[in-house]
Amino acid sequence: MLSYRPGSTLAHRLDPRSKLLVQFGLAIAAVAHPTLPWLVGTTAFALGTLAAARLSPLAVLRSYRVVLAVLALAPVVAGVALGPPWFRVDPALRSALHVGRILPVLLVSAAYLTSTPVRDTRAAVQRLIPGKPGQILGIGMALVVRLFPLVLADVREVRDAIHARGGEARPLRDRVRLLAVRSLERTLDRSDRLSVALRARCFAWNPTLPPLSFDRRDYPVLAVGIALSVSPLVPV
Amino acid sequence: MATEQSVDLVDDDTVGLFTKAVLLAALTAALAQISIPLPGPLVPFSLQPFGMFFAGLVLGPLWGGVALLLYILVGIAGAPVFSNANAGLGYVIAGQGTGGFLVGFLVGAVVAGAIAHRSIAPKPVAALSVPVQVVALTAAVLVVYAIGIPWMSFVTGLPLTRAATVMAPYIPPDLLKLGIAIAIVQGGYLAGR
Amino acid sequence: MIAVSDLRYRYGDVDVLDGLTLSIPDGQYCLLVGPNGSGKTTLVRHFNALLTPDTGTVTVDGTDVTDDPVVARTRIGMVFQHPRDQFVAATVAADVAFGPENLGLDRDEIDRRVETALDAVDLGGAADSRIDALSGGEQARVAIAGALAMEPDYLVLDEPLVGLDWPARESVLDHLDALAADGTGIIVVTHDLRDLHERADRLVALQDGQVVLDASPAEALDALPDLGIRDPRC
Repeated sequence: MLSYRPGSTLAHRLDPRSKLLVQFGLAIAAVAHPTLPWLVGTTAFALGTLAAARLSPLAVLRSYRVVLAVLALAPVVAGVALGPPWFRVDPALRSALHVGRILPVLLVSAAYLTSTPVRDTRAAVQRLIPGKPGQILGIGMALVVRLFPLVLADVREVRDAIHARGGEARPLRDRVRLLAVRSLERTLDRSDRLSVALRARCFAWNPTLPPLSFDRRDYPVLAVGIALSVSPLVPV
Repeated sequence: MATEQSVDLVDDDTVGLFTKAVLLAALTAALAQISIPLPGPLVPFSLQPFGMFFAGLVLGPLWGGVALLLYILVGIAGAPVFSNANAGLGYVIAGQGTGGFLVGFLVGAVVAGAIAHRSIAPKPVAALSVPVQVVALTAAVLVVYAIGIPWMSFVTGLPLTRAATVMAPYIPPDLLKLGIAIAIVQGGYLAGR
Repeated sequence: MIAVSDLRYRYGDVDVLDGLTLSIPDGQYCLLVGPNGSGKTTLVRHFNALLTPDTGTVTVDGTDVTDDPVVARTRIGMVFQHPRDQFVAATVAADVAFGPENLGLDRDEIDRRVETALDAVDLGGAADSRIDALSGGEQARVAIAGALAMEPDYLVLDEPLVGLDWPARESVLDHLDALAADGTGIIVVTHDLRDLHERADRLVALQDGQVVLDASPAEALDALPDLGIRDPRC
């Protein structure tokens, strides 16, 4: 799976805010025009971002293989016809072009993921969204990342406990109900303890924000991000 | 340097709702990793929708929405929280053609919360009438498909009817999940919350 | 000084605290003991306004804590029983910084406090470690550092030793001794006095929401079995 790897590539050194903008901008641009030249252009740009993160395109494609394999079925499904000629090329090509637009989005998000630690995205969210919503989402993201492994372990423990007591013999309905309800109870118990701990540590609306530094090299990246975001307005 | 007098504490009720939203986001992420294999040609039975169900019923429209939004945001940030430990904006947009279902869960939680609580501030689950909760959960499932199928059609270039056909095998298990969620509500299992 | 006066708190049909009066001077090392349900945890959660009294008052140096919870929570650091549920970040230094960040301190001051707090619990080298990769005893020390970073006058620890093995227990207690020697007031809530009774200045026992014993630990030990608490010398 794709995840953050420490490094010192150009992509690593950029501010997460400019990287986020480029990522969203490219997603907007990529789906704007389902035409071949546009697809070639956005894909070339995406390959550029992989280079900036020193990622091998083949390795990235390999880690997306399940997603890509499923997406590749879409043109086949689109082309199948229930009578002669049994397969129609036009809708298949149309679908292939649509699915193809997704490829650059996947590549750019790979470049982002591998070059940006989660805490940087959290810091960017906290700084980009003003006031209370930014604080809730920023701190919230940090907490979800922190608690996800614990809750996942809880859910697996509940599942194993159900199995250990012969739960497989019970109907699916009962098993799922037990698992869902018991997991929810344990999760909410954690919530009660966390909320007391946050209050004891003066959880505030106006904390010192996590450090981020917007460098000179971020300005051109920011400009590219804005250009990509408005590119659907350009007639092709 | 700011002085201590200027510290603007988050009030106690908000902290309680916030930590519940955080934990339900983590629970949604955890349930997305758990699937029960079913016999024969049936698709594996994922527990992911229960995150949406619980978020809407326990937290109402605003904080239920915050829970699912946090889930999607940490996934975009790179935490492996989507099905099969996937992550990234690319997955939210495309997935396996199924990215729209993630956004559908978010809107579904908001819709379920709005129907169940009819106010921003959630009431205790015990104070909600069972038929209203059943309507809320059913509406949430409809919303997920109402967003997921057109989204799939947009991403893959498949006509709407064909995208709906592709998703058809997922409908029976989702109806079963809806039935289980309704049984959980009717059995009073959430009433303490 | 923490001063509790005629404190009453009801939960459901139970008087958890039933007219309790107690004062704890600065710098004291105080053990708060009692059987389950005696009101220990409820009492200490009033010290920093995590709970609000039904009647009665809690003051820190004369200021009612409910009037200024920020001051109460800054002066009284609290460490809870389940350290894993009180961490807010995945790594050590990021978690310890959470309290000072909420106070709005500038980044240099936050970094200084994090470093000092981690040094106080001998975890200076673990600043970038993942909390989940640490042992139980180290996690307890990170939780203590998180409270210390607020530079409190008192540290309240609610059952801090549950689930720790002997070396981890000794290590946590030795660090508390060092903090006490530097003048920090230590208040330990516990039902297990092993290794603690020789270290503390004072032992307060609660039963049914009232103080039933208040003496030096040496004097108090003989009376403990009658209160349902194990004599740590046995």
